[in-house]
Amino acid sequence: MKRKIYASILMGVMLVNTFPVTALASSHREAPMILGDPLADNTDVYAFRNPDDPTKVTLIANFIPFQLPQGGPNFYQFGENVRYEIHIDNNVANNTYTAGDDIVYRFTFSKTNEDPTTFFNIRLGKQNLKTTYQLDRSMDGGVNFTTIVTKGIVPPPNIGPRSISSPVGLNAPDYNTLINNAVATASTGEKVFCGTADDPFFVDLGGIFDLGDAPRTGNVGTKPVDGLKCKNVSTIVMQVDIATLQKDKKAVSQAKNILDGDYVIGVWASASRRKIRTLNTNGTESFQGAWVQVSRLGMPLTNEVINPIGEKDLWNSLTPYEEGAIGDNIYNFDQIFNDNLYNPELALYMDDSQFGGAVPAFTPLRIQKASLGQFDFRNGKMGLQGLKGNPALAGTALDEAIAGGILLPGPGKPRSVDMYPIFRTGVPNLRPYQLATGKGGNPLAAGKPFINNFLPNRGDMLRLNMAVPPTPRNSADFNTLGLVWAAVLGLTDPRFNTNTTLQNIPNMDGFPNGRRLEDDVTRIELQTVSGIVLAAIGLSYEEPARLGQVLGYTTGVERNDTTLKAMFPYVQTPWPGNCNCAGQATGYVQPAVLPPSASTMGIAAPEFFMTTAPNPASGTTTIRYRVETPSQVLLEVYNEAGNRIQVLVNQRQEEGTYTVPFNTSTLSSGIYFVKAVSNGQIKQALRIVKN
Amino acid sequence: MQKMFTKKRRLVYLLLPLGVFALSLVLMSSSHREAPLISNDPLADNTDLYVFRSPDNSNRVNIIANYIPFELPQGGPNYYNFGTNIRYEVHIDNNINTKGDDIIYRFTFQNTNEDPSTFFNIRLGKQNLKTTYTLQRSMNGGMSFTNIITNGVVPPNNIGARSIEQPVGLNRTYNAIMNDAILTATTGEKVFCGPIDDPFFVDLGGAFDLGDLPRQGDGARDGLAKYNVHSICLQIDISTLQKDGKTVAQAANILDPNYVIGVWASSSRRATKTLQSANGGSPFDLTGGGTFTEDGAWVQVSRLAVPLVNEVINPIGSKDLWNALTPYQDLANIGTFGEYSYNPELALYMDDSKFGAAIPAFRALRVQSRSLGQFDFRNGRMGLFGLKGSPALAGTALAESAFGGLLLPGPGKPRSVDIWPIIHTGVPNMRPYQLATGKGGNPLAEGKPFIGNFLPNGGDMIRLNMAVPITPRNSVDFSSLGLVQAAVLGLTDPRFNTNKNLEFIPNMDGFPNGRRLEDDVTRIELQAIGGVVLAALGLFYDDYNPAAMPAQSPVTNRLVNTITYSTGVEKNDTTFKTAFPFVQTPWRGTLITNQ
Repeated sequence: MKRKIYASILMGVMLVNTFPVTALASSHREAPMILGDPLADNTDVYAFRNPDDPTKVTLIANFIPFQLPQGGPNFYQFGENVRYEIHIDNNVANNTYTAGDDIVYRFTFSKTNEDPTTFFNIRLGKQNLKTTYQLDRSMDGGVNFTTIVTKGIVPPPNIGPRSISSPVGLNAPDYNTLINNAVATASTGEKVFCGTADDPFFVDLGGIFDLGDAPRTGNVGTKPVDGLKCKNVSTIVMQVDIATLQKDKKAVSQAKNILDGDYVIGVWASASRRKIRTLNTNGTESFQGAWVQVSRLGMPLTNEVINPIGEKDLWNSLTPYEEGAIGDNIYNFDQIFNDNLYNPELALYMDDSQFGGAVPAFTPLRIQKASLGQFDFRNGKMGLQGLKGNPALAGTALDEAIAGGILLPGPGKPRSVDMYPIFRTGVPNLRPYQLATGKGGNPLAAGKPFINNFLPNRGDMLRLNMAVPPTPRNSADFNTLGLVWAAVLGLTDPRFNTNTTLQNIPNMDGFPNGRRLEDDVTRIELQTVSGIVLAAIGLSYEEPARLGQVLGYTTGVERNDTTLKAMFPYVQTPWPGNCNCAGQATGYVQPAVLPPSASTMGIAAPEFFMTTAPNPASGTTTIRYRVETPSQVLLEVYNEAGNRIQVLVNQRQEEGTYTVPFNTSTLSSGIYFVKAVSNGQIKQALRIVKN
Repeated sequence: MQKMFTKKRRLVYLLLPLGVFALSLVLMSSSHREAPLISNDPLADNTDLYVFRSPDNSNRVNIIANYIPFELPQGGPNYYNFGTNIRYEVHIDNNINTKGDDIIYRFTFQNTNEDPSTFFNIRLGKQNLKTTYTLQRSMNGGMSFTNIITNGVVPPNNIGARSIEQPVGLNRTYNAIMNDAILTATTGEKVFCGPIDDPFFVDLGGAFDLGDLPRQGDGARDGLAKYNVHSICLQIDISTLQKDGKTVAQAANILDPNYVIGVWASSSRRATKTLQSANGGSPFDLTGGGTFTEDGAWVQVSRLAVPLVNEVINPIGSKDLWNALTPYQDLANIGTFGEYSYNPELALYMDDSKFGAAIPAFRALRVQSRSLGQFDFRNGRMGLFGLKGSPALAGTALAESAFGGLLLPGPGKPRSVDIWPIIHTGVPNMRPYQLATGKGGNPLAEGKPFIGNFLPNGGDMIRLNMAVPITPRNSVDFSSLGLVQAAVLGLTDPRFNTNKNLEFIPNMDGFPNGRRLEDDVTRIELQAIGGVVLAALGLFYDDYNPAAMPAQSPVTNRLVNTITYSTGVEKNDTTFKTAFPFVQTPWRGTLITNQ
């Protein structure tokens, strides 16, 4: 049995390796209400241990989706009258404030116009809508706040070189200098950056939301496209000492082991607005009343593809702690939100007894219906519920004495053992949540540890065990499949699969143990909905080839459209407004601007005036010339040796401006001359460089 | 001065060099996210307004008002749609003697989820956020409204083949869905509301990087290519719009001033929005969570008429206020907003004594500093104000007995005679607002008529004289330069420049006499700020010096530079439909490859 499991996994891996290994916007405009409020729209949250300083953790919260680099004149910027917050839960113990957040970072932004007389955003060293921020921190769950950054700088939008680096603009050396100047250190030691960045998320939006067509199958002639390509986002990046985040203020060096349960944090972000917004008749707004949360984000894609449309707005308004409490009350509210994980909609499209035929792109993804001959994890089926109370569960996480109440809540909720804990509690380093390696075919047996980010507050958060070492980004083992890839290595790689010892398997620091910028969370989540985590812990697929198919599944968009920075703030410089992907080229060639006509200048206008663009040229360059008086016009091309190689024009022409294309593509590199002869007299010679 | 104007001139009828015609005549986002506040409220953001006689039915006028800028075709899962709790309105003034609007079309939208159990927008024939509308019409300036369409259908977004054509989706072609959404109101108007290709075109990236139009470093790019917008399209009988209910056949001539309408569009929201929260407690009560209420008076949050006014005419400090005002309040606020037209910021960049060197891309555009040797139209200069009260103005629009009070309001407001009226009053078919053709060198003399869209309510509106015939879109004379091209033809084309009779010159139905979908309004407006309208009237550029060179053509290099100036983005990134609603099918989410 053991060998068989290994063999099937190995086969899967080999298959995968021949596939390009690679998966939705996380939460961009994901709920009806928030799409009308882009400034408060939280798009993604990341939490990862720093590759360049392992004593620190980086937290990133992104807002304002789909920013066009060319989106002037006002571009995009954090909103005033919005509270942007990053929340950390590091302790589920029931003491004074840990029923909810332990640490809260709160950002508030202010704007000013340095020159209200112009419609340009930046002009002559002055910037409009210039934004600064204040950062307040609470270490007691939001009761008391201390200001730790005042007048923090937010760089301007990356409009283009004229606005940023020319003397008529800000005259900055380059945009990255503005980013570097905006990196602040809080009075309590955190490194902070707030500004515009390339949106690090990647997903085939067009395909996935056309009824799940990822990878593309149903749209003739279309290929997967990163729908967030060349889009910017407003980002809050923080680098925080692990000792600040750890509940007892311990350094990471004090961790008992790399899965020490005391080092788990839950991270979520939110945006809140004042309860009452009043429009005044003079074009201003007033805000008053209590703060109301309008957007939140923890795990990627929860409100995008887990919650159905009817529940998205409500979900945005709740805290994770409120969400966790819903199941506790006397109403049958667990049908809301919890059931979206117990029986996820996406699983319907991976189940041939449901809508499996409706989404052909998901054909490789099928859920276990008879794992180990008995366990059916399809929606509405029993999953592991049949084991509830069974003595075989003793000492496992499913034991009633441990977390059985949460993880086996009732019949017909098959994904309570994988989808629900991944999103709501994290996963403990307890049986059965260990790799099948060493289990001898019994998923309930002890196996090889690979995860412990258990923080069972039952709210949607990104949970990171900060004791897990970072995988170097340049390591051959680094993989965007995150923890899925750690499982693959732990099951199949001889460095790790010969014992059940706790080892540092590369990518154990990857999603869903935190979330790195590189992690392909769409793919990982779709694989997870398809049961890959169940398979990793020994609840294998009934079809031998299925694991390989699930592992090899990709959405076709596997990485960001640009690189990431090796250093803080890691997110990449925002796309400038003049970049090649901001708009569609028209091929326009500007005509020569003529000097003023003669009379006022006291000199005669040239009888013949010729320009060309582009120059240097590699393909076709367009020559423009003006004939002042009707004449016989001859345009000839000569090479450097003085040999005539082409006649472009030889005809009588009336006064006017003319254009003639000159195709240089067949010419060898070098210098050429275009000689203009009018009525037999040489008027002008143009020098053209062929690249 | 008198002496100079009466000097015998042989170049009465101008001839533009043929070369100009050999050039392809070629110009920014009209009003997309143009003011700080509205840029945060995309659903209510009015982007463009078009008003033109219908090329397929000359008895009708099309009015198209677009909202919600920069819609990504792939922007799922919720895509974009008209907002509920918003009044989208198209306003028409057809009579200067009645106060305010005469006709108002008011659209309100509702949406429903046919299958709230899915995150997909469309699944198995069911559509979420499915939107319908009610159209109300007022023929008495907003005192009373009548429902003329109820439950009008808004097509879904063009998500992809699986969601639209395939059986797992709606199982219909997108164009069939779009055609079915074309409705006829009980009062005869044709109406369409839905997503479309954004018909506007502009090099946004270049324009807002300090006016780099056309780009000096790299190539021009249409910053709105392959984005969608939500459109309200109306096709209305001219007799419905004309103040006395007359048909176009009853017009006295093609510039009959009784056929001028002023059109503007707006969106309004309730004054107070209150976010609700879940009641909480234990047991936890979810009631109210994720909902909001809106109440109070309706407050205008966006308006649009002449393109680019709030984008590049009004400076940032005044944009939000402008969005909150009606055009009828513009005159009362002329102290704030008048100056932006009298001395437009853009003109600073076309003036070597100001910031002319700051924008190399505009070097083809230079405002007249000594037209006819004396008139200086640069910001802060006198323009034609020195003529105020002069007997030479008798019988012209600039006479005190005519409109001198509006058009020559004071010294140091040089563009009160061209930029201000183009936006705020329209232009009458009166001296000096006739082409130089036939003027014998005196701009104040009678010339060839080319425009008459005068409706002097002082407010920013698109003004269309509905009596002006339509230029067929397939005519060789059709030009995206609109009225600028009509002026070029009237000045230089032998078909039109040998007399000063009122004739139909092609493109007299183009911007700024109304606005056609094809009109390159960015280019036209930059040329206008560069003084091209003044030149067309005979107030030629500085390098025309007939005193020194009697034989010199007024078609000087500077005029050629201005006419040939282009932003490098001269047309939409796709075609237009040849029949209502004319705007093109929206881009499909799955077909976007390069954004």
